[in-house]
Amino acid sequence: MNFFFNVGRYFLMLKRVFARPERHKLYIRQLFHEIDTLGVNSVGIVVIISIFIGGIMTIQFAYAMSNPIYPSTLVGLGTRDTLILEFSSTMLALIMAGKIGSNITSEIGTMRVTEQIDSLEIMGVNSASYLILPKIVAVVFIFPFLFIMSVFFGLLGGMVTGPLVGVITIPEYIEGIQWLFVPYYITFSLIKSLVFGFLVASVPAYFGYYVQGGALEVGKASTRAVVNTNILILFFDLILTRLLLT
Amino acid sequence: MIDVKNLYKSFDGNEVIKNISIRFEKGKTNLIIGRSGSGKTVLLKSVLGLYDIDKGEIWYNDRNLIQMGEKERKIMRQEIGMVFQGGALFDSISVEGNIRFPLDMFTRMTFKEKQERVAFCLDHVNIEKQAFKLFPSEISGGMQKRVAIARAIALNPKYLFCDEPNSGLDPETATVIDKLIQNLTKEFEMTTIINTHDMNSVIEIGESVLFISKGEKEWVGSKDDILKTDNKKLNDFIFANKLYAQMKKG
Repeated sequence: MNFFFNVGRYFLMLKRVFARPERHKLYIRQLFHEIDTLGVNSVGIVVIISIFIGGIMTIQFAYAMSNPIYPSTLVGLGTRDTLILEFSSTMLALIMAGKIGSNITSEIGTMRVTEQIDSLEIMGVNSASYLILPKIVAVVFIFPFLFIMSVFFGLLGGMVTGPLVGVITIPEYIEGIQWLFVPYYITFSLIKSLVFGFLVASVPAYFGYYVQGGALEVGKASTRAVVNTNILILFFDLILTRLLLT
Repeated sequence: MIDVKNLYKSFDGNEVIKNISIRFEKGKTNLIIGRSGSGKTVLLKSVLGLYDIDKGEIWYNDRNLIQMGEKERKIMRQEIGMVFQGGALFDSISVEGNIRFPLDMFTRMTFKEKQERVAFCLDHVNIEKQAFKLFPSEISGGMQKRVAIARAIALNPKYLFCDEPNSGLDPETATVIDKLIQNLTKEFEMTTIINTHDMNSVIEIGESVLFISKGEKEWVGSKDDILKTDNKKLNDFIFANKLYAQMKKG
């Protein structure tokens, strides 16, 4: 019963979020602020994680393909496809759900418990739209860029680490990442990143917007938001993969 | 003027407000007093339209809040200023940004006009220019309350609501805040409703006082009547403080 109540309330909240903004100029200003806070501030962690994961995957593929019957190009191919199909879209979204999602829940939740949201409502501002819409647009906008950046730095990580630990040469690796390339994989993952971006912004916003109580409840709501967002990301990953890839 | 008629409000079958009728006069500081849990905040939020009521009518002059659509309510809310218990200032923007926010959102003023209005409002609550650029977390509790009052009057409201405006303040600052609200009420001819359980506020600015107990209207009068009343519940509430008991005897 609680599940249906929350789903219903989530969609009602979205209806308010996508209502016509009171003053477009303020929303656009807020949008740039959110792109900076939620997107640009996430670039560092995306680069670091992608470089390390790219390097680790290259070593692991090289280890798995150590049998001489496998061509060495498989290492680059494996790294590339894993990055594009799963890591840079899904895994990154899971990581971002922790970073961005908890940020959104705690920010909106704190505004709720300190009556700042009531204050907006009293003024006649659609608080759901003013607080949540710029966040959703910012995250949906920035996610494809983070995805592309993650693929690039992941491949770069593999190219640096592979030769460094002596499991593959740079020419072999470069030949591998170009071998049997399917451009549709990029389209598929970009679609996934848009969907995941929407989930990473809207689900934590829901948990923050309806929090009741004090600081303790805001903390609990953040945890619930991250867990639920992660589950939804994996669920939609399954659905999108089934619909778009098989 | 705000007219409340036969107001009922319940939560999960538990009646919190029972048949309250009261008129809040324009240009006066109208106080709602009562023990903690008596229903003061629920009454205030019901009058504001933040809670959907079960029964009754709420008239803002000649407009019935209950019959208003969402769009009409939104427009009417621009005539309302609210001072929350904790100030509820937007902590990500500066003091002047807080005052400018409703102006940015609802007016077509030029930047210069907005800056003038911000300075006017902050000057009225005695905030010095040096504090304009500070963030809410960088100013004292008393200043936060004054900035909250300045924000509430930014759009020149007809109605001002204050929920425990001097809670958590020292007695001297609390008196300053009370006097400030009273002066602004007179100057801008607003209908002001203040929710409080602070007896000092009642004695200082209680031009019209509504005492509620367990969600029911128990007594209505002014600060001058309050020390002479025979109402037992009100006497128990007021004279729990020995100082006021001595005042009554004296």
